Amino acid sequence: MTSGDLSRRRFFAQAAVASVGMTVPMSVEPGAPEADGLVEVAFTVNGKGERLRVDPRITLLDALRERLELTGTKKGCDRGQCGACTVHVDGRRVLSCLTLVATMDGKRLTTIEGLAKGDRLHPVQQAFIDCDGFQCGFCTPGQIMSAVAVLREGHAKSDEEIREAMSGNICRCGAYPNIVEAVKQARS
Amino acid sequence: MRSVDREDGPLKVTGAAVYAADHHPDRLAYGYLLTSTIARGSILGMDTGQAAKAPGVLALYTPFNPVKLYPYAKEENAELTPPLQNTDVRYYGQAIGLVVAETFEQARDAAALVITRYSAQQPRASFTDGLPSAAPPPSGTPVVDVLAPGVTSIDQALAAGDVTLTATYSTPVETHVAMEPHATTAFWTADQLTIYTATQGVRLVVDRLTETLGIEAAKIHVINPYVGGGFGNKWGMWAHTPLTAAAARALGRPVKTVLTREQVFSVVGHRPPSSQTVSLGAAPDGTLVAVKNDGVSGKSASNNFYEPVANLSLVLYGSANLHVSRKVVTLDVPVTTIMRAPQESNGSFALESALDELADKLGMDPLDLRRKNDTPIRPSDKLPWSSKHLQECYTMGAERFGWSRRSSKPGTVTDGDWLVGLGMATATYGASRGQASIKVRLRDDGRAIVSGTAADLGTGQSTVFAVLTADGLGIPVGRVVPQLGDSATPPAANAGGSGSTSTNGPAVQLATDAAKAAMVTLATEHDKSPFKGQEVTFSNGEIRGGGREMPFGDLLTLLDVPAVEATATSPRSPVRDHAFRSFGAHFCEVRVNRWTGEPRVSRWLCVVDAGTIVNPKTARSQIAGGIIMGIGQALLEDLRIEPETGRFGNATMADYLVPINADIPDIGVEFLDYPDTLLSDLGARGIGEFGIVGAAGAVANAIYNATGKRIRDLPITLDKLL
Repeated sequence: MTSGDLSRRRFFAQAAVASVGMTVPMSVEPGAPEADGLVEVAFTVNGKGERLRVDPRITLLDALRERLELTGTKKGCDRGQCGACTVHVDGRRVLSCLTLVATMDGKRLTTIEGLAKGDRLHPVQQAFIDCDGFQCGFCTPGQIMSAVAVLREGHAKSDEEIREAMSGNICRCGAYPNIVEAVKQARS
Repeated sequence: MRSVDREDGPLKVTGAAVYAADHHPDRLAYGYLLTSTIARGSILGMDTGQAAKAPGVLALYTPFNPVKLYPYAKEENAELTPPLQNTDVRYYGQAIGLVVAETFEQARDAAALVITRYSAQQPRASFTDGLPSAAPPPSGTPVVDVLAPGVTSIDQALAAGDVTLTATYSTPVETHVAMEPHATTAFWTADQLTIYTATQGVRLVVDRLTETLGIEAAKIHVINPYVGGGFGNKWGMWAHTPLTAAAARALGRPVKTVLTREQVFSVVGHRPPSSQTVSLGAAPDGTLVAVKNDGVSGKSASNNFYEPVANLSLVLYGSANLHVSRKVVTLDVPVTTIMRAPQESNGSFALESALDELADKLGMDPLDLRRKNDTPIRPSDKLPWSSKHLQECYTMGAERFGWSRRSSKPGTVTDGDWLVGLGMATATYGASRGQASIKVRLRDDGRAIVSGTAADLGTGQSTVFAVLTADGLGIPVGRVVPQLGDSATPPAANAGGSGSTSTNGPAVQLATDAAKAAMVTLATEHDKSPFKGQEVTFSNGEIRGGGREMPFGDLLTLLDVPAVEATATSPRSPVRDHAFRSFGAHFCEVRVNRWTGEPRVSRWLCVVDAGTIVNPKTARSQIAGGIIMGIGQALLEDLRIEPETGRFGNATMADYLVPINADIPDIGVEFLDYPDTLLSDLGARGIGEFGIVGAAGAVANAIYNATGKRIRDLPITLDKLL
């Protein structure tokens, strides 16, 4: 078991206590949260190093949005049910609302803000514009982050496979057929 | 018509479009709503001691420690009273408090420490149980009869039909589930309120806040350029908004409150359940001689909104005798409100299903039955339709979809394990043109700014503004900057009732013309102008005259004038001798698994006669979106109320099912191009609701064709097909 695992367990323990709101004094152990209850975490977001001292309860989604002010990642349900908060952690798609930021130490994150190269849009972003793969735009960052990963994972071989692989991202405006077209355009 | 990419596309695909919850003013505090856990009764007390002492908590507002909010002066399709002003509980999930803390986590966890004691009563929570005692509606006529001369009652007319049909159709509670949960960020600068809040119209928020905060409209600035979907649910202003504004005033710092997804299900309203008993009488050739629809809608005890679901039966198909009635069942449930195609989406499910059943009885093709009863006049008042090309929609749709391959015998077409059926229905929605004002500003950098209080909920409205302004000025669309969702701009139409483009579009055109005229005046009157005193024209973005031409931006630069601008107002339509409505035809194929009963929509085509389509690219998406919501209505959506508690039992996005990508096939959308010039010179009628109307009926009809099973109770889940 690595020290990372140990400290992760302590984060959860603290989070559980904090979430019921009791003020129980914590015993101080090496690597444990500091006296003020905050934990320190360092990771990179879109290539930039970030170091935060955070409430162990804070999700990756809320840390991105409220601490780092990267508000492109959206909170649609906060329960892992809609996909709007999808980001990449070490290249894998992750629901940031179901991830505690305290577990991000040493990780490499990419959010919707980090996809374009300067003014040049990522091919998936361009395809979403070309194919009108969105309406209100609220689910779009999550859709695009999923689509990039789905393509990278090789799960976009047929329309049916795209529909299945993109089904973790709900779009209430109903842009689904255009999203499938956008993924196909980006694939080719 | 040319298709244009969404003007806000680059912002939306990079995460740079700023929604209401994305604002982060300095010293921001976080609000978290407390909601009731009974459906009817009153609050006896709230123990807030632990919560108030929790780390980071700044304030805790309850009915026992409220922020002052004045009663709402006008009735909207939302709450009748502002929150926390008394201890009444009218539904489960009602806002009963607001915790404000330094962080979201602190506010949320402190909220969990509040213990509320109630005096609870048994709620009225079952629509079905209430049906026998349904009562006349709070507004509108309870009964409308349109009878041919000499006919004394609709039942007499029905009895004269050679073939008759009576059936009852029901629909459950549905809800919008816009992807953006309702959010409000508010801050005060002295006595001036700035508020970012998710809304279908910034003016709606100004009006409501003026009433309840007791301050002048001029002191309220509402900003909301990007809206994460609305579908009716962001028309009303809901409890968190005035609470957040008042808390920010009391605390002297910015406050942001975002509803949790679970709160969205109860705090902001839903589509009421409905029941319709439809009777049709027809001659042997299919001519309808009587249409009767007794409609009942649920209605929250908390407000007066209900769906007069039967109304569509008064206008869609010709018949010499028509009858609709409206009743309500009042329930102790969250607020009932408008949702995409209020009344007509439910109304069409019943009417289109009934027509299909009648066709079966007549031994007619259901498409032929609809053709037979197409009418150039509005049956309820005999006014001619302004521009109706429904027959062409039917013909084009049938041909392109392959309707002739439909088997008239249900349950006879199979493909492996799947029973395959085709269905169709008429699509429709009413149209109108209200008053709107728009400003167009021509700048020295060669750009044009078009602004008004309109909202783009994902509809493409801002791109419509850009297209119309660019076309009027003769410049590329990319040089127009639309600015919507700002209460400081001229009063344009809010986004609702499929009226944005039909109302705002003509105003954009007028304002563009006015801005051109202002530019011409400047060119011919400014002392330093090379066009001074000359005859000039404005075309292709240039001032032309005296053998010279100059782009407007260059001329402004030359004259050292930053911009010229003009505001124009387009009046509401004065036409009273025609009726306005869009029409079209849905065709779909549904497959039902013969072993599991699972229904899957596999093909769709919709042909649309909605007047001028300003931007087919976004319009096609909007129609498809309506159809997809209709597929959800047909097969998935069902917000269940626990009868004992009045609680919505499946108030999460995992439990209230909406369509996902894997549920949806390609959706074909074809537009006819007949500008409705009686409505406006632009000729656009609006398409926001159109796609959902008829969609559930088409699915139900296809399922009947596939299986021989007629399901009259939405949603059509697999258990009903086994």
